[in-house]
Amino acid sequence: MRKLLALLLMVLAQPAWAQSPTPGTVLDAAVNQVIRPAMAEFKRSASGLESAMGGLCVLPSVDTLAVAHRQFEQAALAYGGIEFIRIGPLMEENRVDRLLFFPDRKGIGLRQVQAILAEKDATASSVTSLREKSVAAQGFGALEFVLYGTGAEELSTVEGQFRCRYGQAIAANVSSIADELAMGWYRYDGVAAHLTRPDPSYADYRTPIEALEQIVGLVSHGIEGTRDARIKPFIANGDAAAKPKQALFWRSGLTMAMIEANVEGMRRLIEVSGIAREVEEKDKALDNSIAFEFSNAQRAIDLVTLPVEQAVADEKQAHALDYLVLVTGSLQNQIGEQLSAALGLSVGFSSLDGD
Amino acid sequence: MWQRRAFLKAAGVGFAASLLPRQAVALERSELVFASSVQTATGGYGAVLLGERGDLIASIDLPDRGHDITISPQAGRGVVFARQPGTFAVVFDPAGREAPVTLTSVEGRHFFGHGVFSPDGSLLYATESDFEAAQGVIGVYDVTNGYRRISEFLTHGTGPHEMLLMPDGITFVVANGGIETHPDFGRAELNLETMDPSVVFIDRRDGRLIGQLRLDAGLHQLSIRHMAVDARGRVWFGCQYKGTPTDSPQLVGYATMDGEISLVELPPGTLADLRNYVGSVAVSADGKTVAVSSPEGDLLVAIDAEGKRPVLVETLRNGCGLAADGIGFVATSGEGAMIGIAGAEREVQKFDFLFDNHMLRV
Repeated sequence: MRKLLALLLMVLAQPAWAQSPTPGTVLDAAVNQVIRPAMAEFKRSASGLESAMGGLCVLPSVDTLAVAHRQFEQAALAYGGIEFIRIGPLMEENRVDRLLFFPDRKGIGLRQVQAILAEKDATASSVTSLREKSVAAQGFGALEFVLYGTGAEELSTVEGQFRCRYGQAIAANVSSIADELAMGWYRYDGVAAHLTRPDPSYADYRTPIEALEQIVGLVSHGIEGTRDARIKPFIANGDAAAKPKQALFWRSGLTMAMIEANVEGMRRLIEVSGIAREVEEKDKALDNSIAFEFSNAQRAIDLVTLPVEQAVADEKQAHALDYLVLVTGSLQNQIGEQLSAALGLSVGFSSLDGD
Repeated sequence: MWQRRAFLKAAGVGFAASLLPRQAVALERSELVFASSVQTATGGYGAVLLGERGDLIASIDLPDRGHDITISPQAGRGVVFARQPGTFAVVFDPAGREAPVTLTSVEGRHFFGHGVFSPDGSLLYATESDFEAAQGVIGVYDVTNGYRRISEFLTHGTGPHEMLLMPDGITFVVANGGIETHPDFGRAELNLETMDPSVVFIDRRDGRLIGQLRLDAGLHQLSIRHMAVDARGRVWFGCQYKGTPTDSPQLVGYATMDGEISLVELPPGTLADLRNYVGSVAVSADGKTVAVSSPEGDLLVAIDAEGKRPVLVETLRNGCGLAADGIGFVATSGEGAMIGIAGAEREVQKFDFLFDNHMLRV
């Protein structure tokens, strides 16, 4: 009898749409219209980065260095659009850290990259042996220093041969991981199939509700991560001064572009999947509210036009960054709590990592 | 175990008198009392005392989300610790005679959500993070002197989570989860590649390290987080795996003060349903059964401590809180449900608040 009651309790906790076909539509759109294309775009741009680094090493010049810079920007921002999709292949084989070891609170990556460059460590110029090194020396963070850090100007001359070959190996590593991500998402019977067609026999997604919880959770936790690890660490907080050099990609000037890529990736997932429209009549305004808050975030990002070191010292732009913290907090609440509740989901009041 | 009579004695005669009539009746009817942090229907946070039948005996408000609770009959006080990386702990008088007092973590430290009192109730210990050094510590607080922080001991690891006082009353066991976090970066996990989780035994009198146990090196991403002590003094622990999600390492094991550490073999199906995440561990009143929960997998598993094999598997959506009932266990969920398992005869109840990860039998 008690088991029956427990079952009843579980059923009562499900949203009305748990019995409708709508979750399948949302999940299909999330995977096939957002996640898979974004993975393919990352693969394409990472491949372009690898080619550009190859070109730079063969023919070092100001022009080929500029091409490499542009390809770095494209690949990094493409990754910015998917890095919140922390399921499936991205979570395997330390790929998150191998692609971008950040935050690097103790400056481990910087020290390792500087040592590799100073010693001309030949094992770092081969992608095979580079993969055996620390994650901090083989991803976007390391490549940013190679391309924009102290001494990067030598890349446009033959003097920068080793530095370039190290950068080329990093780019090849990034490209290889991007291939693995795309293949993982397009694999038959892989995460895409499980997420769009949940089944009780699967270890990852047994029901449509679990799959939907995952989609909402990705955005809720992604927004939290962008705010806590990408914005708050470098802005002033009370008596604590701003620390612009704690910002991701401050050397390349891509700090805000990366934040924008993060936010836009999450906005697209919510918008294109239509998940916030699949609520009861009384909650229909939520979709607009979320869209409005995403547009507020975009407006705040657009206001920050100076390099972060100057932006944090500029009253208007520092204010925009403070506002961005508030807006992302509001988005986390809207998506993680209000939308979850409206959908009858639980994005883990007691299942948040690390508790 | 602190049952109703001891609870009343510790709380003093003023307790029942200070309660609302309905709550006083609830307490009178309760042989057992349970405590948990909760999220209220309005989105606020608090902690509740529940009677044996799930009747609400008392509640307090919290400034933010709480986690585990510890209560000392001797001190006549309970403490709710903020969920990591929180900076507050609220000391409350179960009798309701005095207003709650909020403690704040000292500069450079934050709480990890767990702690214990000394047997005589004169000292409070809390797992904390020295986050600049990425080093776990146990903060030591003088209960008799306004909870002044008087000392700290190293936990010899990063990211300490649950700590327990062993039955000898002088040894702590601490689960060093191995994960580095820093308040500058919220809950971001900063060292997944180099995690080094361990179980440590520490002398509570001077902080001396008695022993440190690690699982095989290949399991360095298996974060050891929650524990309970069985009838034989073995420390059962539950883990959360931070490696490749498609890996499926064993998640439950035990450690002893003799230096043994071992994972038990759960069947593949049960293990898969735990989703690489154990959120809470409890031992039954007779110390012979261990229960673990996974809110990620909506699963509760009871394990025979002697046979080291599951004797019951039950589903509870978002279920995490576990505490020994008279027989079996009480289990609670992040959706406000409370059920009994493994022999506990109790009706399924639904509350208008959501239970946090841990349920304490007081």
